[in-house]
Amino acid sequence: MSGDRWFEGLAQATGGVAPTRAPARLKSKVYSALIAQMGESGSLLDLTETKKAGGRLCVFENSLTILPVGTDIGAMNPCRICHARVLGERMEHAPIFWPGCPYSEFHKR
Amino acid sequence: MEPPSGVAGQSQSGVESLAAVCDERELVASVLRKDRKAAARFVAAHIDAVYAYTRHRLTPRAELADDVVQDVFLAALNGLAAFQGQSSLRAWLIGITRHKIEDVYRQRLRVPEARDDAGADGEEPYSDDTPLDEQIDAGRARERARRALAQLPERYGLMLWWRYWEHRSTRDMAAAIGTTEKSVERTLARARARFKELWLREERDVR
Repeated sequence: MSGDRWFEGLAQATGGVAPTRAPARLKSKVYSALIAQMGESGSLLDLTETKKAGGRLCVFENSLTILPVGTDIGAMNPCRICHARVLGERMEHAPIFWPGCPYSEFHKR
Repeated sequence: MEPPSGVAGQSQSGVESLAAVCDERELVASVLRKDRKAAARFVAAHIDAVYAYTRHRLTPRAELADDVVQDVFLAALNGLAAFQGQSSLRAWLIGITRHKIEDVYRQRLRVPEARDDAGADGEEPYSDDTPLDEQIDAGRARERARRALAQLPERYGLMLWWRYWEHRSTRDMAAAIGTTEKSVERTLARARARFKELWLREERDVR
């Protein structure tokens, strides 16, 4: 059997792959990278606006919306300094259970 | 009076697909407004498909999949304003993924080949005329092939995968990596020989 034919047969016999889900830590990393890139070209949508648009905020984001400080704070990205992001990007099945936290959502199975 | 069930089914699916298009447009608009929660929905909705596709096409070097997937989403974010909605968002993302994977193949295979196996030129030690479907159980064979591919030098693994699992012609491969068809054929012959050695070794280990 020629080399080509043997390999064509092998590829045909082994071509199918089981569906694969992305690891939760990859989802977390990709999300962090997207948010960082969004932030590079200007402020993120203000958290109050995000909430109005139907986005569910986590407890830290919520607290930023009610702090009596400058208006720019709502466009900050508190995930940058949050332990949930760190765990989410480094572990599979990370123990993060904050409602409204995207990292927590990525790790739900 | 209710319409016949076939018509009802069609209009139902029409409504569903229209709703899906509206949802996608809304999602895209929200991401473009830099809504972080929309970005999370965007990732959650599509990353499994992008990842599965990438893993499959990069089987010989699955460890590259994470970086490729991240690149795909970053490129998608950059190009999202130009997304017209003529295809589904997922199809559009898979299109970007396809290009990124082609880039990986081109970059990895353009590197000059190290001739660490000069004696293996065109040698194909394995000869088995038994029909393949009688020899193998598909699941075990898939795993065995994956292991053998993973042990090959990167260049060989990618070459074999591109040629046989992805059905690329040697002419296409040569054009993509800037070499001659003859050179691709020579590398493939060496890659096949190495693969078959590993394949046989796996067989011996099982016995």
